[in-house]
Amino acid sequence: MLQLVVAGLTVGSGYALVALGIHIILRATRVINFAQGEFVVLGGLLAYSVTNVLHANVWLGLVVATAGGFAIGLVYERFVLRPAARGGELAVTIVSIGCVYVLLYGHSLVWGSLPLPLPYFSGGEADVVWRAGGVQIAAQQLWVLGFLGLALGALAFFFEGTTYGKAIRASANSPVGAALVGIDVDRARSVSVAIAIALAAFGGVIVGPITLVGGAAGVGIAIKGFVGAVIGGLDSPVGCAVGGLLVGVVEKLLEGRLGYGASDPIVYGLLIVALLVRPQGLFGSRRAIRD
Amino acid sequence: MSERMTTDARLLPIFAAIVIAFGFIAHGNANLVQAATFAAIDAVAAIGLSILLGNVASISIGQAGFFGIGAYAFAYLETAVTWPAALPVWATFVIATVAGTALATAFGLVLGLIALRFRGHYLAMATLAFGLVVVGVVRITPALGGAGGISNVAFAQFGSLSISGVAAYWYAWAMVALVASLTYNLLRGRTGRAFEAVRNDELAAEAVGVPTRRVKIAAFAYAGALAGFAGTFYAAFLGLIEPNAVGVDFSIDLLLMVVVGGAGGVSGAILGAVIIGITNVYGHDLENWRPIIYGAAVVVIAIRFPRGLVGTFARSRRRVTPVVEAVPEVAVRDASPVAPPATPSPRERVAWLSVDSVAKRFGGIVAVNDVSFALESGTLTSLIGPNGAGKTTLFNTICGVTRPSAGRVTIAGRDVTGWQAHRIAALGVGRSFQNARLFADMTVLENVLAGAYLRETATFASDLLALPLSRRSGRIAADRARSVLSSLDLERIANVRARDLAFGDRRRVELARSVAAEPGLLLLDEPAAGLNASERARLSDDLLRLRSDGLTLLLVEHDMRLVMAISDRVMVLEFGAMIADGRPAAVRDDPRVVAAYLGTG
Repeated sequence: MLQLVVAGLTVGSGYALVALGIHIILRATRVINFAQGEFVVLGGLLAYSVTNVLHANVWLGLVVATAGGFAIGLVYERFVLRPAARGGELAVTIVSIGCVYVLLYGHSLVWGSLPLPLPYFSGGEADVVWRAGGVQIAAQQLWVLGFLGLALGALAFFFEGTTYGKAIRASANSPVGAALVGIDVDRARSVSVAIAIALAAFGGVIVGPITLVGGAAGVGIAIKGFVGAVIGGLDSPVGCAVGGLLVGVVEKLLEGRLGYGASDPIVYGLLIVALLVRPQGLFGSRRAIRD
Repeated sequence: MSERMTTDARLLPIFAAIVIAFGFIAHGNANLVQAATFAAIDAVAAIGLSILLGNVASISIGQAGFFGIGAYAFAYLETAVTWPAALPVWATFVIATVAGTALATAFGLVLGLIALRFRGHYLAMATLAFGLVVVGVVRITPALGGAGGISNVAFAQFGSLSISGVAAYWYAWAMVALVASLTYNLLRGRTGRAFEAVRNDELAAEAVGVPTRRVKIAAFAYAGALAGFAGTFYAAFLGLIEPNAVGVDFSIDLLLMVVVGGAGGVSGAILGAVIIGITNVYGHDLENWRPIIYGAAVVVIAIRFPRGLVGTFARSRRRVTPVVEAVPEVAVRDASPVAPPATPSPRERVAWLSVDSVAKRFGGIVAVNDVSFALESGTLTSLIGPNGAGKTTLFNTICGVTRPSAGRVTIAGRDVTGWQAHRIAALGVGRSFQNARLFADMTVLENVLAGAYLRETATFASDLLALPLSRRSGRIAADRARSVLSSLDLERIANVRARDLAFGDRRRVELARSVAAEPGLLLLDEPAAGLNASERARLSDDLLRLRSDGLTLLLVEHDMRLVMAISDRVMVLEFGAMIADGRPAAVRDDPRVVAAYLGTG
C-alpha cells in the first residue's frame, strides 16, 4: 500500500508538472494546451538522444531538454497558439489537438514508437534502492520529488519575487492594463508558454528513468495532468501540484487493486466527476471557471 | 435560409449524382468500393459532429465513444444473443441497429447534460475523457472481447442479398442520404433556428424564449445518435469491432473531417469524410506520415480557413453576388395567409408585472435593495437613476437572468422568482439588452425569425421529418417576421448580416426581434443609447405605437427628454433603492431626485 503511494507520488510528480504547465499557459493565453503531454515525451526523448546517442551524462540531458523545451515553447506560442487564438476558443482547442497528432507521430518517426530507457540520475543502469520498513524507495524517486520541490520553489520565486514574473502575471490578469503600463504583453505570453513547455520537458527527463520515455504516453499524461489540475484547481498553482500528485497516487492504488489497464478509465472518469462536483477544484476559487 | 443551408441545398444534389455515378463506374474495384463505404460510415458520424461544432458551437472529442457504443451494442447483440429461430436475419439486423443507435443516443443525452456545465476547453477535455472511458471499458470487459474485440459478426442478410461489397456501398450511401436529408430538414426548421441562436448568443437566445440547455442536450444526443448509427453499420460491414477502432484517434479523424470540410450543415462533413477516405486509400505508403499530415492539416486549416472547404467556397462565391437583396425571401417565397396561432396571444394573458421587496446582493454589495412596484398593462414606465444604481440588475432579476437574493417577482399572476429566462420569455416577456445583443452571424430577417421562436409550434421530431406541422410553423414565423419588419420599416436591410449593421439599426433590429414573439411586456435596456436625434425621434414614435397596441413597456433610460416625453410613469433608483415613483413632472421636481442627479449643494 505505502509502496504504491510512493510509486504514485513519483509518476504524480510528472502529472503535477504538466498540470502546472497547463495552469501557466491557461493563465497567460486563456488556452488549454492539449499537447502538453507530448512535450513531456519530447523532453524525455531529447534527453535520451543526449545520453544514448551523444553518450553525454544525464545532467546534460536534463539541461538540454529543459532549454530545448523553452525554445520550442517560444516557437509554439509564436507560430501556433498566437495565430490560432484569433479564431477564438474553439479554434485554439482544435489546433492544439492537431498538434498532439503531429508531435505524437513525429516522435515515433524520429525515435521509433517503442519506449526508450533513460539512465538513473545516481546509478546509470541500475538504481540505488533503500528499504525502510516494508517499503522500497529508489534514489530516482527521491530525485523526482526533490526536483519537483525545486521547480515549485523556482516558479514561486519567479512569479512572486521578480519584477518580470510579476509583469507576466499582470499581463495575464489584464492584458490591456498591462500594455498600458508598458509591459510587452506578447512577449510575456510567449515567455509563459516557453516556461510551461520547459517544465513539461523537464518533467519528462526526471520521471523518464522510471517510466521510460517515448511511445504514445503523451495523450494519457496530458489528460492525467489536466485531471490533476481540475481536481486541485486550475487557477491555483499549489492546487495543480497537489492535484497532479493525487492523480498519480490514485492511479497506482487502482492499478495495484484492479490490475494494469483498469485504472485509466477510472482516472479519466474522475475528470468528469471532478468537473461536475467541484469544477473550481480543491484550491481554486469559484470565479475562475466562469470565464 | 442561412448561407450554409444554401450551400447544402446546392451541393447535396451534386454529391448524390457523384455517389450514384461512382457506384456504377467503380463497382468492379473492390478496394475503391470498400474505401467509399468506409467514407460513407465516417460521413454519417461526421455530420453529427458538424452540427455540434458548426451549428451549436460545442466541441466533442469523444464521438468515437458513441461510435463504439453503437458498434459494440450491435456486435454483442448479433453474436452473444440467441435470437428466436422464427426471426429472419434481417430483423435481427434491424433490431440491433436500432438498439445500438438508441443506446448511443441515450449516452449522448447524458453527455449533453454533463456538457451543459462546460464550454470551450473544458468541454473538449470532458468529451475526450468520455471517449477514453468508453475505449478503456470495452478493452477490459471480457463480455465485449477485451483487447481483441468482438469478431465473427455475421454479415446482414436481406433474403439472399448479403450486405457486403457493392451492396454495402449502396446501403452505406443510402444511410448518408437519409441522415443528410433528416439533418437538412432539422436545420431548416425551428430547431435549426434555435441552434443558430444558441451558437450566436446564449443569453439573447434565452431572451427570445429558446431553452438553450435543452437545445444543446438535443444536439449532443443527435450527434451521439448519428455516431452510434454509423458504428452499428461499421460492425455489420466489417464483421468485427475492436477497441482500437473506437479510440481517440478516430475521434480526432472525425474532427479533422469536419474541420477540413467545414463545420455546420451537412455537405462539409460529407466532403471531409470523402477527402479523408481518399487520403486513407492513397496514403497507405505514408505510414507514420499520415497522422502527422492530418494533424498539420488540422492546424493549418483551423488557422487559415476556419470555415473549411465548403465554407470558404461559399464565401468566395458570395463575394461576387450582391450581399443585399432588396426583398426578403420569405416575402416572395410564400404569400399564403397564415391562420392566427391557436393559443391566445400572451398579450391577453399578461396583465401585469409585480415586483415585491426584491433584493440582489453580490457578495457584500447590495445592487438592488428591497424594491417593490407593479406595472399596469398598457402603460409605459421608465426606470431611471445614476450609473450603478442597479437598474440593469433589477431588469435581470425580472427576466430570470439572475436570481434575486430576496423578494418575489410575479408575472401574469404567476410567481416566476428563480425561473429560467426562457420560461419567463414564454410567459410573454420580451427584452432588449444595453449593448444590443443580436445574433451576429445571422441576417436581420433570421434574427427576427428567431425572435418568433415562441410563436412557432414545430418540434424536434416534426422538423426532422419535415412534417406539415413544421411547414405551418415556419409560415407562422415568416408571416410574423414579415409584419414586424414592415412595421418597423426594416425590409430594406432584411438580408444584411447583423454584424454588418450600423449601431442605430442594430437597436431597431433588436426591438423587432423582441416584438416578433408578440410579448405582453417589453423590457428595454437603454434603447436610446448611442442613437442620433432622428433615430431617437423614431424610437419614441415606435414605443408609443407599441404602447397603443396594448403592450406594457418598462424602459431603463438615461435620455431624460425622451423619458419625460413618453412615459406614463417614472421610477428612480439610487444605490439600489427606489427613491421616487410617479408622474414624470412630479418626479422631475422631486428634491431627492434632483439631489441624486446633481448632488446636494
